[in-house]
Amino acid sequence: MRRLLVTFVLLGTVLGRPVPAGAHRLDEYLQATRLALDIDRVSLDIDLTPGVSVASRVFGWMDTNRDGEISTTESEAYARRILGAVVLSVDGRAVPVTLVDSRFPDARDMTAGVGTIRLRATSKIPPSSAGRHQLAYDNDYRPEMSVYLVNALVPADPHIRIADQRRDPSQHRLILDYDVTTHSVSSRTSWLLAGLAAIGLLALTRRT
Amino acid sequence: MIAVKTSRASLMLALVPLAFGLAQGAGPSRPAPPAANAGTTARVVAAANAFLATLSDAARAKATFGFASTQRTGWSNLPTGIFQRNGLRFGDITSRQREAALALVAAALSRSGYQKVTDIMNADEVLKNRGGGRTGGRPGGGGTGRGGIQFGLDEYYLALLGAPSVTAPWMIQFGGHHLAINVTVVGPDNVMTPSLPATQPARYVLNGQTIRPLGNENDKGFALINALDAAQQKQAILEYKVSDLVLGPGTDGKVIQPEGILGSAMNATQQSLLLDVVHEWVGILNDGAAAAKMAEIKANLPRTYFAWSGSTTNGGLAYYRIQGPTVVIEYAPQQGDLDHIHTIYRDPTNDYGAKLVKP
Repeated sequence: MRRLLVTFVLLGTVLGRPVPAGAHRLDEYLQATRLALDIDRVSLDIDLTPGVSVASRVFGWMDTNRDGEISTTESEAYARRILGAVVLSVDGRAVPVTLVDSRFPDARDMTAGVGTIRLRATSKIPPSSAGRHQLAYDNDYRPEMSVYLVNALVPADPHIRIADQRRDPSQHRLILDYDVTTHSVSSRTSWLLAGLAAIGLLALTRRT
Repeated sequence: MIAVKTSRASLMLALVPLAFGLAQGAGPSRPAPPAANAGTTARVVAAANAFLATLSDAARAKATFGFASTQRTGWSNLPTGIFQRNGLRFGDITSRQREAALALVAAALSRSGYQKVTDIMNADEVLKNRGGGRTGGRPGGGGTGRGGIQFGLDEYYLALLGAPSVTAPWMIQFGGHHLAINVTVVGPDNVMTPSLPATQPARYVLNGQTIRPLGNENDKGFALINALDAAQQKQAILEYKVSDLVLGPGTDGKVIQPEGILGSAMNATQQSLLLDVVHEWVGILNDGAAAAKMAEIKANLPRTYFAWSGSTTNGGLAYYRIQGPTVVIEYAPQQGDLDHIHTIYRDPTNDYGAKLVKP
């Protein structure tokens, strides 16, 4: 399975308004992923919290020019590195992941073991046909010091139903079996067909 | 210095006798039909106004916020210095004001719930006096401000959002290290989600008494998992390790795909045990509101999941989650430390009273 193609659309605030955090880790790098499944995309929220004992190492990985500050370029590069260790596939085919937003804590919070790096990413997937599908998520970023949480959100689209979910013991990997009902696909398809028909009609009108 | 701290702990315990906490929780929960709670709301409003009456204009300005302000979601279990709370800090107010503040918290909660809150606060004072814990308490850092991190009895904050009212919505926000209690009051309805009761240490001795602030949550969880037969345990026990809360602070509005065994797959005894576990969180709130909430959860019990990860032997390390249409509860020891427990209580349909408050 190939690594993801990571593209950056928008790099968000580096030191944005802090979001309440709850974890205060010691010697672990907590990586918590929430995954939202839609008919034609998968959205990922990845929260990374380095514990107080490992925070200086993590900070060092980001602060590549060793000036004690995390620049936008450095945070972008670090986010790219994290997503580079993430593999997402649908029905056995890897799909690219695009970073949508990233927020980095200040050095003080990070070294206290409570600073959380928050990444939001998305993957466009081919519109799912009716029937059973499978999504696989793998996170292999820094396994030597990390603990993982990965959870799927209940799909917002009522025509998608998660039938089964399986993980490895350390939650590196999540596999979701999900069912798509005809209505969801047909409604989207009908919108697509209606759009194509409208374009065709417009073209015919212009010719005449 | 130690004597002062001890006397504060004793004072807090004296406010609500330990007997309340010990007497409660042994028997099965008794969810009652929804009860009119107008009398309780009136008492809570009176306690809030009594608290506000003890404050100077400046202190009142510090303690109060608009109901719709961002302060509503600005809570955490983290200590001061890592997370800056707003509201009135206990270390900055007089003993009379502190008593009025605690009287307000007591009015909003049940007696056993207030006892639990008191036990959690006292645990934090114990942690401070010990100089921290193995996980999270900053070993050697203590709670006295070294490194800027502070916790203990002085580091609890009370804030009111909106004007106390028996009709209009308002909110009580009370918390500190390892505690976040959010009570939204809308007329006769009182809602306590989201809230985060946690503790470190999980067991301590105070005035000759062994205190386990979340001991019932631990013991009742193990009782339930062990009441399931092998086939049921196979459904309930997750094949993976869960090392923290999935829906802790900062995850408002998220609903994860449920896992585990459904309430509908349990027999009546097991269902009763499940409700008994749930009541440990729901029952923190005053009795009338808790009874209404328990009735709602009981009605949804067939669609409520119970998931477990870890040892099934009491004393071992285990995480569990209860998730139904209107409730999410997680119990999560931190980083393998049985002496450091985080929990969360949410209602995905009604956090902050969302169902009751018209936008």
